Amino acid sequence: MPILSIVLWLPIVAAVALAFFPRAADSAIKAFGLFASVVTFIMSLFIVTGFRTGAAGFQLVEMKAWIPQWGINYALGIDGISLWLVMLTTLLTPVVLLSSWNAIHKHPKEYVISFLIMEAAMIGVFVATDLILFYVFFELTLIPMYLVIGVWGGANRVYAAIKFFLFTIAGSLLMLFGIIYIGFQYQHATGVLSFAITDLYRVGVTPYAQTLLFFAFSLAFAIKVPLFPLHTWLPDAHVEAPTGGSIILAGVMLKMGTYGFLRLVLPYFPEASIRWSGLLIALSVIGIVYGALVAWVQPDMKKLVAYSSVSHLGFCVLGIFAMNQASIEGSILQMINHGLSTGALFLLVGVIYERRHTRLLADYGGIARTMPLYATLFIISVLSSVGLPGLNGFVGEFLILAGSFQTEPIAAVIAATGVILAAIYLLWLVQKVFFGPVTNEENRDIKPIAWNEVAAMVPLIILMVWIGVYPKTFLAPMGPSVRRLINIVKTEGNAPVLVADESAGEVARAPLGGAK
Amino acid sequence: MIQPLLEAGWMNAILPELVLVGGGLLLLMIEGFSPKTSRSISGPLAVILLIAATWAQNFTVGGTFFGNTYQISGITRVFDLTFLLAGILATLFAREYLEREGIDSGEFYALLLWGTVGMMMMAKGLDLLIVILGLEILSICIFVLLGYHRRLPVSNEASLKYFLMGAFATGFILYGTALFYGATRSTHVDGLRQYFLTADGSNPILTVAFVLLVAGFGFKLALAPFHPWAPDVYQGAPTPVAAWLSVAPKAATLIALIRLFDAMAPVFQRTQWMLMLAAMAVLSMIIGNAVAIVQRDLKRMLAYSGIAHVGYMMIALLTVRDESVAAVAIYAITYALMNIGAFGVVSMLGKNQNDPQTLDDIAGLGFRRPFFGLAMALCMFSLAGLPPTAGFISKFYIFKTAIESGHTTVAFIGILMSIVSVYYYLRVVYYLYMKEAADGVPVPVSGVFATGALAISMIGILLIGIFPTPLFQMAGNAARELLRQ
Repeated sequence: MPILSIVLWLPIVAAVALAFFPRAADSAIKAFGLFASVVTFIMSLFIVTGFRTGAAGFQLVEMKAWIPQWGINYALGIDGISLWLVMLTTLLTPVVLLSSWNAIHKHPKEYVISFLIMEAAMIGVFVATDLILFYVFFELTLIPMYLVIGVWGGANRVYAAIKFFLFTIAGSLLMLFGIIYIGFQYQHATGVLSFAITDLYRVGVTPYAQTLLFFAFSLAFAIKVPLFPLHTWLPDAHVEAPTGGSIILAGVMLKMGTYGFLRLVLPYFPEASIRWSGLLIALSVIGIVYGALVAWVQPDMKKLVAYSSVSHLGFCVLGIFAMNQASIEGSILQMINHGLSTGALFLLVGVIYERRHTRLLADYGGIARTMPLYATLFIISVLSSVGLPGLNGFVGEFLILAGSFQTEPIAAVIAATGVILAAIYLLWLVQKVFFGPVTNEENRDIKPIAWNEVAAMVPLIILMVWIGVYPKTFLAPMGPSVRRLINIVKTEGNAPVLVADESAGEVARAPLGGAK
Repeated sequence: MIQPLLEAGWMNAILPELVLVGGGLLLLMIEGFSPKTSRSISGPLAVILLIAATWAQNFTVGGTFFGNTYQISGITRVFDLTFLLAGILATLFAREYLEREGIDSGEFYALLLWGTVGMMMMAKGLDLLIVILGLEILSICIFVLLGYHRRLPVSNEASLKYFLMGAFATGFILYGTALFYGATRSTHVDGLRQYFLTADGSNPILTVAFVLLVAGFGFKLALAPFHPWAPDVYQGAPTPVAAWLSVAPKAATLIALIRLFDAMAPVFQRTQWMLMLAAMAVLSMIIGNAVAIVQRDLKRMLAYSGIAHVGYMMIALLTVRDESVAAVAIYAITYALMNIGAFGVVSMLGKNQNDPQTLDDIAGLGFRRPFFGLAMALCMFSLAGLPPTAGFISKFYIFKTAIESGHTTVAFIGILMSIVSVYYYLRVVYYLYMKEAADGVPVPVSGVFATGALAISMIGILLIGIFPTPLFQMAGNAARELLRQ
């Protein structure tokens, strides 16, 4: 059974079917969208059951020629690095559709269609094992997200949407240039054109080209992550996006950047990655501290959570470039953790914004008394985000810090302050919003949290505890793939397997005019 | 041995052209005898004739005709298909547009058909004189079509502008051809190829001739610095004519240039002439994309974006080889689908044609007329080169070819300029979906023909974007065949 294709195409089929729904059938559209995404999630469970723990390479592979002339295939596969990211995607989409059941009144049809297409595109990014296919899905995520921010967002939505789009596309088009270049390097070395991700692992690029390509790819992914100082689009996008958009953006889309580092940058440019790891580690550490400090002074809850993302994603990048087993495993786990806890926080901020139409900390206080269930859920999510032992955040951050301490002790020490700062700004948020006297009369009779919002939160909370208590379920499948990745980087960093002739890159069949 | 002037099978060879010429005459007759009948049937009839001409391609046999001056081959079929596709789309959009504007008559379609014949001649001519003949047939049709909205000052302005500039351009091409003849004793590509095998390019007459030809063809392509006519002309032209003009004549000029460049390939290796073309391509991409950013008038914006797109296509032609010819052919088809689609949506805006059609006129279109909005958005994403549209695949092909040929810097500039272009294409989508229509902006009228044309565009864009292989095969084979002779 081509399970990856089923999971990938189901949302698209549902989106096409939705296009034929009558515009007025509001609940039917939402119900169908939710149904389709739940079915997709259930189908994706078969990926987990079919996944063989202990194998390092791609599993459940599917392969069909797509553009044979250029060696491009419709090739799918999954390994320990991408497994949980796919699951995160299929989990968060129904969560979003469920939580925004009552929040979206404007054009619900287009809203649901956008999220379904986005889900398919994100799954595609994680399961594609062909570089061009990866790129196609990578770009395809932009269009629905652009519409989600721009149509259903806040007051300044258009600025945020365009900024988001332009930042991301600028990076990814440069990456496209690099992709074509690598494909030709492979062709020069082997005589056949191929864009299969693992084929290209064997290409050794000359040091100079490696540096340029490393920066072309890294720029694309660093913008996506986002890494300091390329993060400026993120607060805008998050603040303006509707709740559902923020959840997906923070929960999954940012991970496409860190995933790209793991899947492409490290194995393709091992030497450059090792040489420039200092720079990326420095930037991620700056991001950790800077994001935390800026989050601390935010008067707006959503902006606070957005900046906390900058800080948390810094940990992921730090773990990746520390390049050892523990740190990379921690980094992957932290991607999932961040998706769960930040997704939950954005969801909950959205819940209260729905009711009070303000996100300013100063407008709240003593909410714990008026909305006890809501407060409980919020505090669990905060504690997960802070990294309280027993919840998921702790495991990821601990692995990253323990791993990086072996290779980058100074960076690890500075990054550790990020954990402390996270505790400060998030608990500060909790104290301001939930405790103390009810200062604002309007907060006395807020509608309690609704059934659909609680239902959306339940799976997130369960997973937070599960990962916190028994992370082995999640770490075990990653191990072999991460080990293989490190091997590729460490051995290829010293001796490239296939080195294209230095001059081969310059060869053209009939160069004219010297227009080089 | 003297070749007979008319080879066997010449009728079959030019069957598509005969269908169109005869069909155009038929349309004129109907118009002459019964204007009322003509108004109701000439549009559909023109579409049927174009489809018939497409079908007639099945009866053509490959080979050269008319004393080795007229060649039918795979590549001419691919380009014929582009012209016919552009003609069909433009006719479908024109039908309801002309009706609404009250300028409906049979001549319009007849001119469109004859213009298509002109382009087919340009694509098939092995002799520069045949190319010029085709170009003139095309140009005369364009002059009249541009001024078809004859009571509107802007339409007349467009026609006059194109006429004055176009006459100069044709003059340049003729003069360049004459100088070529003087230097090489031939106007035929085979003769030129023979001569250039040994020429070192030091003869100044050749340089002058080449520059003149490039200037003349550059005008037809709206390639910078010969582009300034384009925005004014597109803006004033009846919108379906602008749609057609922005695509089909460019494709015809490109195939003519491909033949010429192929014949001149040896001399390019010995001279720096191609640098000039590279500079023009870069200039086009920069000017087109940079100026498009500040345009609020949709037709002017599309004109500047068209200048940029010609720049992209020229990148591939800096080295003529089978891959680059295939890339240009595919780009031309894609460009026909997406650009005519975009112009088509503009043509449906129910606004006084003398006033500019600005971004404000499409505000909220995505929810007021979801189908038009979706079509426009798809065309914009395709023009911007985003996957999974045809625009991505074709642009990818262009850049891939350029990098393969060693034109890495030019390709890099092209990619940078693509990033710039995303901004203004995206702005259209912003107006479509994120801005409410101002009071008094009319909801665009809908019509069966225009809806059908948009459906063709959308399906084509997605089909080529997702399953490009058959087209690649066809264009690739055709290109190899062209360059093997």
